[in-house]
Amino acid sequence: MIFNEKRIPIIKIRDYLIVSIQVDMHDRLAIQLQSQILEEIHRTGAKGVLIDISTLEMVDSFIGRVLSGMASMAAIMDAAVVIVGMQPAVAITLVELGLEMPGVDTALNMEYGMEMLEKRLNKD
Amino acid sequence: MEANTQIKNAKARIDHIEDVLSSVAAGDLDIRIESDIEDDLTGVEQAINLLIDDLTHELKKSLKMKAEMEEKLQKIQVQQKTILQQQEDLMELSSPVSKVWDNILILPVIGTLDSQRTQIMMENLLQKIVATGCTTAILDITGVPTVDTQVANHLLKTVTAARLLGAECIVSGISPAIAQTIVHLGINLSNILTKATLQDAMIYAMKKNDQLVGGKIKTNFFEQEENQL
Repeated sequence: MIFNEKRIPIIKIRDYLIVSIQVDMHDRLAIQLQSQILEEIHRTGAKGVLIDISTLEMVDSFIGRVLSGMASMAAIMDAAVVIVGMQPAVAITLVELGLEMPGVDTALNMEYGMEMLEKRLNKD
Repeated sequence: MEANTQIKNAKARIDHIEDVLSSVAAGDLDIRIESDIEDDLTGVEQAINLLIDDLTHELKKSLKMKAEMEEKLQKIQVQQKTILQQQEDLMELSSPVSKVWDNILILPVIGTLDSQRTQIMMENLLQKIVATGCTTAILDITGVPTVDTQVANHLLKTVTAARLLGAECIVSGISPAIAQTIVHLGINLSNILTKATLQDAMIYAMKKNDQLVGGKIKTNFFEQEENQL
């Protein structure tokens, strides 16, 4: 299976992990990404994770749940997750599905997301 | 012998009647049964002629009515088209999203809201947020007379969707009537930031963006312009 081999790269820059999802997400890939990110937070001691989903045109309820689940899991590992660059259509779909992702931080783009994380880390 | 000719005559006349009737059935209404002999069949012939007259008259009348109806239908279709066009225009006109300050968008809503309109509004606002990169949006509903459950729900969805994009949405100008309706309907707006007037919302947004320091208004608009020059 080619799908199993595909991995989404996780880039570490200073205290942050940057994940840019550029392929269509399917359920197994989402689960895999979730554990991959958590492993990486554990390994590097990152304080923040930026997940860029600007190229995702479709998010179903499962992936929505995985994303919000990942945020709360990372939070108890002392890392803040910011979801960045969500498309309007995706936002509308999630809201219609009733997945309002409470407790998940979002930002318009990477720049804003980075600022948000920096502000948060400076506060602590 | 005489009886035979009579039968022959009668047969010929009945054939004639048949011919006329089939012509009428085929659409030729000017034709009538002609006969010089007066006997028992004459009455039948006259009656048929009368019926054809009546039929002609009625047919003409119905044709005229049909033409009138078609004309009316056409008029109505034209009107319908205009109404649809105007509705579309109104939909587009009714939800302008404008950037009023660095980082601040305003969506003034005027008139009664329905689900379709709120849907369009929501899409417009979200697209504009992404296009301009503004992180604050003000939804001003001063001009909205009433809301129902569905519309309130849609407003909630708009605010939540804006949050998912990474922008904060402020709702301003909630009238007493709307406040009453919302509370009576049992809709929870506590997750939404509401301000009394557009001015309050503006001040809040500018303070949040550090654009209002010590009563002075700041903008980096001119810096941007200088950079461009």
